[in-house]
Order: sequence, then structure tokens, then C-alpha cells
Amino acid sequence: MAQIRALIVDDSKIMRSAVKRALSQLMIADFEYVEAMNGEDALNQFDDSIEIIFLDWNMPKMTGVEFSKAVREKGNTDHIPIIMVTAEKSMGKVDVALNEGGANEYITKPFTADKMHKTIKRYFDDEGNLVTQKETEEKKSFFSNILKS
Amino acid sequence: MTEKILDSKTIPEEIVDVVKQSVINTFESILGVPPVYDEDSGPEGPLNGVIGNIAVFNPERTLSLMLAMPKETALGLSEAFIGFEIPFESNDMGDLIGEISNILAGEVAANIEKIGFRGQSSLPTATRGSDLTLFMPNKPPSEKLKFKGPNGDFWLNMALSESN
Repeated sequence: MAQIRALIVDDSKIMRSAVKRALSQLMIADFEYVEAMNGEDALNQFDDSIEIIFLDWNMPKMTGVEFSKAVREKGNTDHIPIIMVTAEKSMGKVDVALNEGGANEYITKPFTADKMHKTIKRYFDDEGNLVTQKETEEKKSFFSNILKS
Repeated sequence: MTEKILDSKTIPEEIVDVVKQSVINTFESILGVPPVYDEDSGPEGPLNGVIGNIAVFNPERTLSLMLAMPKETALGLSEAFIGFEIPFESNDMGDLIGEISNILAGEVAANIEKIGFRGQSSLPTATRGSDLTLFMPNKPPSEKLKFKGPNGDFWLNMALSESN
């Protein structure tokens, strides 16, 4: 099973543990975790190795949506799924996160492993590779072959 | 809605109803069964447990929510929420009740918007101790709601005030 480096951002240690526990129950990939306590901390820890992000909204210093925007503004990060995992439930908030913040999915707390699975399974293939990443590599390979020929 | 709140000495019933239902929804989603509202809010007295504080606010109004959990209720809740009982004395207990307050505030904010109070949640805080007294200010209207859950009783105190 492929190893996936996941960034989990939440000011609650209990919730970071809950996300990790749910992901380990899914058996869809072998996750390696990087944890951050707020958006600012997450931005400091964010690098090219991060493949998927699980992100709370309401945090001190920098909110999840501010972090998400900052990640998308870096460029060349569209292939990284950003999954909001938050207590914010109003439709207006969902709209802001997905359309202005650049998040891909929205899960409200409390969540179950099943709910997490239904939300993120489309990002993984049967071998546990991130589909978006695989597609990106296929495209790179395709253009590389064209250039060679 | 705003004028009604300004003139009222009690929290408008429609807000109390929204908060009451939000508590039931939140705890049902965590515990699997809905807690039951108890009209008898019980005697006043110090609490041996944890209090989670959070607010839903906008520039005009602040709805403060205080979730009061006796020790035994909190211990049972930790098992339901994270799968095992965490020590009452650990920092994780405050983290847990703070997070549950945060989830409750998210539910309240989403539901109260439907009756014209559009607000956002503050960050939660939690206080743990053996002789906690809930301070409810006299001036702004306040309300104390008691619930009976499968892990024990708990209270939700709320106060509605002008935002500073």
C-alpha cells in the first residue's frame, strides 16, 4: 500500500487524534502524519512532501480557510486535496471554504470513519495512491514522451 | 429580532428553542441517542467537573454558551467521543469539552441563522475543577437548561448580551 504524507491541522489534539484514528481505520493508504496546531503552524510545516491536508476552520493565529487560500496561492498545489474537517455548518461557510478558500471537500464534526471514507475515497486508487497525484504523473509522462519523440 | 432582544428581560423563546434543539442534535450525533431536556434545571451549587465556554456573536449581539459537565458525565462522554475514557485530570479533558462546545456552537450558529441571528463562533475555552461556580451576569437575559444523557446530567447556560 502506498505511503501518503498527510498534514492534519487542528488546534484540538483530541480532534487531530480522531482524524488519525479514522484514517487508520479506512485502510485505503498507509498514512504518515504531520500535525499542526493552527494555520500559521501549518504554513511553516507545509512543503512539497505534503500530499493531502485535513483542515479545521476555527483556529487561533490563522484560520483554516486563510491557510487553504495561502496554500493555493503558492501555485502548483491544485493536486493536493484539502479536506475541511470543521464544526462550522452553515451553507454560507461551506460555500466560502469550497469556492473562496480552495478546499475540495467539507466534513462536519463530529464525523465517523464511514463519513470520512465516503468523502475521501475518490482521491485514492486501489493501491492507495492519490488519484490526483497519479494523474499528474501520467500527464508528465505523456508530455515527456512527446518531447522525446 | 434585534428590537425584541433589546427590549427583552429574558432570552426570546425562539432562540432558547433553537439552542435547546441544537444541544439535542449535537449530543445525539456524539452519543447515538438524544439527551432529554429536563424542565427542572436543578439546584444551584458548585460543580465538580468541566465547563466549556464559547460564544456565537456578531457586531450587535453575543450569545454566550456555557456547557457544564459533571465529572462522571464528562468521563462517559470521552469514551463515546474518542473511544476510550481519558483521565479527568488530564489536559485532554479540557480539550475534549472545548471541542464539544465548538461543535455545539457550530450547530447553534447554523440554526440560529435561520431565525435572523447571523453570527460566527468564538474560540472555545474550558475550565476544569472541583468547586466551580457558574457566574451568570444579572443584567443580560440568561437561561439555564438541564439535559439528561445516557452518561449523566449536564447543563447548558446561555446569556444574550450586547457585543462590546
